[in-house]
Amino acid sequence: MTITTSLGDQGLGQQPWWVAQWMELINSYRYKKRLERAWTYAREGNVLSIRFEGRRVHARVQGSEIEPYKVKLWLDVLSDEDWGYVLEALGQKARWSAQLLAGIMPEDIERAFAASGRRLFPFKLQEVRSECSCPDKANPCKHASAVYYLMGDRFSEDPFVLFQLRGRTRSQLLADLAMQRRELLQQRAQALRASQGADTSAATATAAQPSPIAISDPARWWRYDAPLDPALVVITPAMEGESGLEEAGPLPLAEDGRFPEANQHFLAHLKAEGTRLAQAAMAMAMAAGRSMGEDSAAHGSAANGTTEPAAATGSGSGAAPASKAQPGRR
Amino acid sequence: MSLLHATWLPATAAGPTATNGRIAAGLLLWADTWRVATPVTPSVDAVPEHPLSLNQDDLGAWLEELDLWSEDSRPAEATLTLPSRRQASRGRKSADSDGAIWSGLPLQAGEPLPKQVEWWPWRVEGWLLKPAAAAQWLNQLPLAGAHSDLADELRWWSHLERWSLSLLARGRWLPEARHGRGRWQPLLNREDDRRRLEDLASRLPQVIDAGERGTSLSCRRPGSQRLLVARLLEALLDGQLRAGFSPNCPGLDPLLGAWQKALGPGDGRLELDGEDAERLDTATHHWREAVAGRVEPAHACLELFTPPEGEELWELRFSLQAEADPSMKLAAATVWAAGDNPLALGEVTLDQPGALLLEGLGRALQVFEPISRGLDAAAPEAMQLTPAEAFVLVRTAAARLRDVGVGVVLPASLSGGLASRLGLAIQAELPTTSRGFTLGESLSWSWELMIGGVTLNLRDLERLSAKRSPLVHHKGAWIELRPGDLKNAKKFCALDPGFKLDEALRITGNEGETLYRLPVHQFNPGPRLQAVLEQYHQQKAPDPLPAPEGFAGQLRPYQERGLGWLAFLHRFDQGACLADDMGLGKTIQLLAFLQHLKAEGELKRPVLLVAPTSVLTNWKREAAGFTPELQVREHYGPRRPANEEALKKALGGIDLLLTSYGLLQRDSELLECIDWQGVVIDEAQAIKNPSAKQSQATRDLGRPGKQGRFRIALTGTPVENRVSELWALMDFLNPKVLGDEAFFRQRYRLPIERYGDMSSLRDLKGRVGPFILRRLKTDKSIISDLPEKVELSEWVGLSPEQKQLYNKTVEDSLDTIARSPLGQKHGQVLALLTKLKQICNHPALALKEQGVDAGFAARSAKVQRLEEILEEVIEAGDRALLFTQFAEWGHLLKAHLERRWRQEVPFLYGNTSKNERQAMVDRFQDDPRGPQLFLLSLKAGGVGLNLTRASHVFHIDRWWNPAVENQATDRAYRIGQTNRVLVHKFITSGSVEERIDRMIREKSRMAEDIIGSGEDWLGGLEMAQLRDLVALED
Repeated sequence: MTITTSLGDQGLGQQPWWVAQWMELINSYRYKKRLERAWTYAREGNVLSIRFEGRRVHARVQGSEIEPYKVKLWLDVLSDEDWGYVLEALGQKARWSAQLLAGIMPEDIERAFAASGRRLFPFKLQEVRSECSCPDKANPCKHASAVYYLMGDRFSEDPFVLFQLRGRTRSQLLADLAMQRRELLQQRAQALRASQGADTSAATATAAQPSPIAISDPARWWRYDAPLDPALVVITPAMEGESGLEEAGPLPLAEDGRFPEANQHFLAHLKAEGTRLAQAAMAMAMAAGRSMGEDSAAHGSAANGTTEPAAATGSGSGAAPASKAQPGRR
Repeated sequence: MSLLHATWLPATAAGPTATNGRIAAGLLLWADTWRVATPVTPSVDAVPEHPLSLNQDDLGAWLEELDLWSEDSRPAEATLTLPSRRQASRGRKSADSDGAIWSGLPLQAGEPLPKQVEWWPWRVEGWLLKPAAAAQWLNQLPLAGAHSDLADELRWWSHLERWSLSLLARGRWLPEARHGRGRWQPLLNREDDRRRLEDLASRLPQVIDAGERGTSLSCRRPGSQRLLVARLLEALLDGQLRAGFSPNCPGLDPLLGAWQKALGPGDGRLELDGEDAERLDTATHHWREAVAGRVEPAHACLELFTPPEGEELWELRFSLQAEADPSMKLAAATVWAAGDNPLALGEVTLDQPGALLLEGLGRALQVFEPISRGLDAAAPEAMQLTPAEAFVLVRTAAARLRDVGVGVVLPASLSGGLASRLGLAIQAELPTTSRGFTLGESLSWSWELMIGGVTLNLRDLERLSAKRSPLVHHKGAWIELRPGDLKNAKKFCALDPGFKLDEALRITGNEGETLYRLPVHQFNPGPRLQAVLEQYHQQKAPDPLPAPEGFAGQLRPYQERGLGWLAFLHRFDQGACLADDMGLGKTIQLLAFLQHLKAEGELKRPVLLVAPTSVLTNWKREAAGFTPELQVREHYGPRRPANEEALKKALGGIDLLLTSYGLLQRDSELLECIDWQGVVIDEAQAIKNPSAKQSQATRDLGRPGKQGRFRIALTGTPVENRVSELWALMDFLNPKVLGDEAFFRQRYRLPIERYGDMSSLRDLKGRVGPFILRRLKTDKSIISDLPEKVELSEWVGLSPEQKQLYNKTVEDSLDTIARSPLGQKHGQVLALLTKLKQICNHPALALKEQGVDAGFAARSAKVQRLEEILEEVIEAGDRALLFTQFAEWGHLLKAHLERRWRQEVPFLYGNTSKNERQAMVDRFQDDPRGPQLFLLSLKAGGVGLNLTRASHVFHIDRWWNPAVENQATDRAYRIGQTNRVLVHKFITSGSVEERIDRMIREKSRMAEDIIGSGEDWLGGLEMAQLRDLVALED
């Protein structure tokens, strides 16, 4: 029997690789029966909550007793020294920083961790420590195992949770990386200076935040004379696949087993509503930009161009809508 | 007049007493108006009230008048930080105010700026619209054109709202959960959206960000405009999606259910505990992050360079590119060197340049995988691409990279624009025998194929295509070959077409024109063709033509150029519209042109000139004065020829027939019988309405008869800016240039009028430009020889009613006077003259009528003419003083003008109190949106006032003493006047007014007497002299 999570229903190909790796880890567990029970637990919503608190995962799982069991879960934290090695390795390739900054978990991230002889992902399930308040002696018990399952989905919500479990949040990691990059670059610059014997303290000029232009030119406080962007004259719908929803793809939210395919339902609903509102917006855009009576004035005299022009314009405007009170006069 | 403003009020944290949390953000509508206000000194503990703002009730009523009231408005107050003028309050010494307590007034839009502008907080009342209602409200605002009631920033807002509609239509948004609330977020990573953000941010009228709810005395300091605009856009988009979204999807788990609810109507609060809310926050953030990054002043950029000679690999360099100016870049090396320090890029400061560059590169490698190879080093600056990779980048990846917010700079010859496509480079010249004056004439020409700025012949193209590589090297540049290129090139070569002058004119008129479907990339005319093209497209001033033989007067240099231009287009058989500003002498130029034809022996058949009735007199006078050789006749009045025979007979020996638009329409069949040599229409805006009968009749008359027929239109209005009126004008001048009316409406009129579409407008101007010559009297580089004060005699006739009343009055009075004793004679003569002058103004004045009605203008030729000129003045945004010697006339005219233009026209006369007087003058001089017309009585308003904001002075009726008129004129024409002043003096032709004018002009002894002794001499006039003075001449 192969057990997959709800995310797996969409096919393994669509799973982020770190989720796949995590599931592989769980499925390597020897006690298949217990796993199966854990999966049912997870799917039926017995896991009431999962909370990442610092380096630990706290979960509450509804067991056979009234009071939910408390599950704690953690990985071995890397020492500062280990993190030092990892950071140094990560700094070697700009790509790692680039991907982490863009919200992407690099597939070969383990290679950076290998530098410290450690791993980001646990290699064996034994490396995942757990504690459960249930009377079950087995470790992991089915409650903890149920949490394991859902952890995979949680990684897809935020893959950087793994860093957190290893002792660094994403922002700490990025800050450390920036620091390390600077040191590295300083060394390089020194080396360069030494080899060239020249001063290369170039364009690092900084400027104070300039005041908005309206301060230096107060006429700008009121003035706007730009025409409408020509591309906004006609409001057009999205091309196939160009809407934000289509680009963003599936929601990286762990699903509650009791509400199957809720994510897809919700996305489909968003999409339908989006299409409806897009059409409404286009209809609105077609009607917009009436030119405050000028247009009607131009048309208004269309019928009566029969007399002398001066008289025609005179009477035309004299007869113009009298329903509105004359503006600006008291 | 008041001006409507819209300022954004950001959300505020809840005060300690508020029960339902914070106060939501919204759009505050407020208005300022002009009124006399005393400078305000703020007290220590309260923000002073904006002394020029409208209160809530008045604003509400006014919004209703404007049809802009929204039921969703809620009353609101805010503190606005506004540029202000320091001004000592009354009773305080204005000198050495250093250290003294500040006092002053807020500045208003359009008001001249003082040397020292200071910022002060002011309190205003207004009406608040929440984002969804604000979006709805903004959608009804005009997108283009200035509007006298709406401040500029309202147009900015309407453009922002239109952008949000575009984002909605394109689905460029994602829902998010942030800080415990559900929000709809715009996605702004696409290239055009990022450019829009930049455009709107850099042009933001700061008043939009001037407001806050608090009551602190401190001024609001503007922050990043880019972030502000993104925030405002988000608010509008969120408001609209929230209002429209139905949160009714079933089968959702509690997390999604709560999120869905928070995205629907309401305040967006997520009903989730902290932990779940945080989970949703992280997940949705991560979701969005994969599509779009944050709003930053710069983005990562990839620059592609072609391989050096003889090498294969292309270089790709990494850099940061400023959003504000794509030409501003920072090389990766500089970015790495900065480390953690901020870097200046143009006017902005990048706080974390390294992280910014890396994040962009991270996104780039998601859509263009080869980059990952380039990021193996710790601080990469560039990488190399294989030819295949370079091609992928050029062809497809560049666009996708731009979509995820990464800039791409390609070599010029590959940059993807029109220039990189197959097109033509053309060389052409007029044949040596040609003078270049017929459109259909063939030019001698040669052409080459051109791609990416490099020329090539068919054989080159065949050789390059054989390489089967999409990027090929030719003549030192890399160019992109597209699949159909060879076929299209062969097709064109086989065609081997000729090339005519009108095609040259077309190609040079607009960008992006094609010839047999191939774009023309380069056009090199020979020197003689060049000269014709430049003249045609008005790229240089027209060649002057001196005043012709027989022209009794002098042409100013710009008038000689105008004459040259008319003659130039005439030789092409193209209709011409002379649209010079009022006062530059369009009449004189046209008369000179007719005389030019006459002198050249080319004027063989009669020319028809159509003008409003009110200016026919003027034409007759001017023709008699300047072109005595031209035989002129009027087709007007009950005794005009009624059938073809009579008309043909009447036209014997006639060069110019004058008629009115009204008669043109009434006698159109008759007038069409004549084979006119040309048709001239004066005040051509009279035919602006394409479907009006007189407009149709005029256009029919412009079509050539058996022989050619030239068409000239004269107008003082900026025709090229009145899109709706252009079609009829061009259909008269040169039909086909703008297509039929339906096409014109769809292609030009709707896009330009409704949305202010600039590209359509440019195209339209390119098409009509050659046929319109408009020079402004303010343009001193062109009109360098016009004096600063120009006096114009406006000759007008009399309406039938005026004429009848005039004659009757003369007859009745002369009898009475003849029979009166000497002692009463003087008084009676004076009374007669007064009455006649009144009749010349308007019968209603002489008959002592009180009110004005819709038919008021039709009863006086003078009022009709005055209206026509004022129309141009008002259209141009100029201001005018109108002087009259009759207070009663001032009242009547005030009522009429206010009704006609729906704006206030102040009238200053003897009974105006001193305070009112000062208020009128201040308002006229200082109010940015003050009245454009100012009526004054000659006696009360003629001295002492300073009204330099006016650039037109009208003397509606004449006074005997020119010194009095000049003094009145000098209210506007004096120190402080920066514009040319046009002085319009109305003279009713044939009447006592003309006699007065002649006397003043000829400095006759009689006039000396008048000036010397007032009107005493009148009593001593002989009856015969008196009759000569007052009797109506024809």
